[in-house]
Order: sequence, then structure tokens, then C-alpha cells
Amino acid sequence: MREYLPVLMFLAVAIAFAAGTIGLSSIIVPRRSNARKMSAYECGVEPVGNARARFSVKFYLVAVLFILFDIEAVFLYPWAVTFRQLGLVGLIEMMVFIVILLIGYLYLLKKRALEWD
Amino acid sequence: MTEALFIGFAAMLVASSLLVILHRNPVASALFLVLAFCSLAGIYLLFHAEFIGMVQIIVYAGAIMVLFLFVIMYLNLQRDEEGGVHIALRRGLGWVAGTVVLAEGVFMLARRWAPGPLTPEVPGEAAGNTQQLGMLLFSRYLFPFEVTSLVLLVAIIGVVVIAKGRSTAGSGTRPAPGEDG
Amino acid sequence: MIPLSWALILSAVVFVIGVIGVLIRRNAIVIFMSIELMLNAANLVFVAFSQHLRSIDGQVFVFFVMTVAAAEVAVGLAIIVNLFRLRETVMVDEVNLLKG
Repeated sequence: MREYLPVLMFLAVAIAFAAGTIGLSSIIVPRRSNARKMSAYECGVEPVGNARARFSVKFYLVAVLFILFDIEAVFLYPWAVTFRQLGLVGLIEMMVFIVILLIGYLYLLKKRALEWD
Repeated sequence: MTEALFIGFAAMLVASSLLVILHRNPVASALFLVLAFCSLAGIYLLFHAEFIGMVQIIVYAGAIMVLFLFVIMYLNLQRDEEGGVHIALRRGLGWVAGTVVLAEGVFMLARRWAPGPLTPEVPGEAAGNTQQLGMLLFSRYLFPFEVTSLVLLVAIIGVVVIAKGRSTAGSGTRPAPGEDG
Repeated sequence: MIPLSWALILSAVVFVIGVIGVLIRRNAIVIFMSIELMLNAANLVFVAFSQHLRSIDGQVFVFFVMTVAAAEVAVGLAIIVNLFRLRETVMVDEVNLLKG
């Protein structure tokens, strides 16, 4: 438990800072608004349309594939810290794992799932 | 100290889980789910499962929740309109059924699992949590580990087939419905 | 030291919240999130027992559960996206093509 004390303190400071900044600024901010102040100043162009327009499905496909390869990367962490004890056997085990996932990656390339248009 | 932290994290977990299922806005539900996963990661740390706690944040709170938010944004869901006698009846039945399941569980726990002392805490034992887990994963659980790669392979192929369609590129990617209206 | 029964009761409560979420919501994505809650409740029991029995095997199981959950989320959300493309809805009770 001792070793987490700095983390806890950091957490407390972070929460206090976020809450304090937002709370303080909402208390002491002057509220005088006029039409010019409220107008959009995004390069001088009025915003068009709804900001919550739909994404294309291409983003979704990339996000999904990221998750699946993210899991693969997570499996590498315990392998990396035990690599010396496992030796050659560990290397072969991990190679089998990666080769199987490489088949999936080759499939993606063949289906052009990662190409943008 | 540990108990107080556990109670704090547990309260946060239960509150945010309740908000996940009760909030009308799916985006808010997803963000409360992130909070639930983070408090669960805190509980894992209290149980000396450091590596699992970190993976919980990397995989669940990071990757999976991003995917949920992507889908919600992609589908451009507004708030759910849920009204009418039919829905209210089903919601009531859902709460009743859930309460019955919970009562059943608590009844069983109260009979078999009297809260008693556990084996004493061994300080410093958890130093090499990731290392212990790695040794076990690559020796005793070698076969499940290799099968996991097949699960991931099937998921990759399944996602591509479902999301892109069997046809070649072009026909599978219809323009997003928001753009032409 | 946290009693095992606290973790078990917490897990039961979270699991039941997930069950209720599946039963009362119509939005397929929120139902999916409730399923994730139930999986995490199971993971909590694994970790608690791993600490209780002084054996790290439970944490390995959590690892596998997380992997399966990620694969499940990937495929499940792909199905929901396709469902939305076909039917313009993700409300589960409006998808009743097989109901006759």
C-alpha cells in the first residue's frame, strides 16, 4: 500500500486542480457578452452544418483492427519480462503466436482493408 | 486505509455502472463505462494485480471504449425515446428480475461465505507480478495462449468480412448517410 | 486486507446491474455495454480469488477473458454497424424480421 501513496497524492492534486480551475473560473469570470464577442472567429467563416455529422465506416474499420492488434501487443509485455527465463522455447512460442496473427494481417492487405479509398 | 479505498472505488464502480444503464444518452453511458473500468482498475491494484490493472486501463478504458464511442458517433445516435406502457412494463419486469437474481446471489453468499479472515497479507510478494504472470502464461497456459491468437485471427477476418462486405473495395463503402441529406 | 466476501458482493451487484441493463434497454449498443459490465464482474471474482488463494492463475484467466471480450466487441459492433445500415435502427425490438 505504501508504494501507491505518491500515485494517490498525484490523483488528489490532479482532481483538485481540475475542479479548482473550473470552479474558480466559473465563479470569478465576468459575464459581459455582446454580439461580436459571441460570434464565430474560425478563420472568419461561419460554421456550416452539424458538428456531429457521421463518420465514415473507414474510421471504424481502422479502430477495430487497432484493438485486435493492441491485444497482441499486450501479450508481448509478460513475454518481454520473462524472456530470459523462457529462452528459446519462449521465442518459438511467441513466434507461433505472431505468425498466426500475421496471417490475419496478410488477409487485411489482400482485402485492401487498410487502404483509404 | 485499504478498506477505505476499496469502499471508495466500489461506490464509484456501482454508481457509474448504474448510470451506464440509466442514462438516456449513449455517449454519456460510454463515458460512465470508462469511469467504471477505471475504478475497477483501482480495485485490481488493491488486490495486488498490478499488471491486470494496467491492462484493464490500456485495453478496456483505452481501446474498447474508443471503439464504442466511434460506433456511437458513426451511427449518430440521439437520445433514446423510450415511452409507452409496453416499455414501462418491460422495464419494471427487468428491475424485478434483476433484484431477484441479486437476492439469490446474496442469499447464497451469506450461507456459504461468512466474512472471515483471509491468509495474512505478505508485503513485497507482488513485486514481480508481471513476471509471475508471464512465467505461468508461457508454461502452464501455453495452449490457451496459442488458441487466443486463433480467436484474434477469426475476429480480424470476421470484422473485415462483416464491415467491408464480400465484394471488392468500392461497393462495400457506401457514403455515410449524413452526407447526402 | 479486504475480505473476500466484499469483493464477491460487489461483483454480484455489478453483474446484476449488467443483467438489468440488458433487460431494460432497447439500444443494442447500451445492451452491449451491459454485457461488458457482466464480463468485468466475472473478472473481479477471478482477481479476488487469485489474491485469496495466493495463486496467480486467476489473473491469467482475466487476461484470456479480456482477449475474448475484445474480439467479441470488435465483431459485435461490426454486426451492429451492419444492422444499422440495413434497418436504420439499433433498437433491438424494431429488428423483428424473423418474427413473422
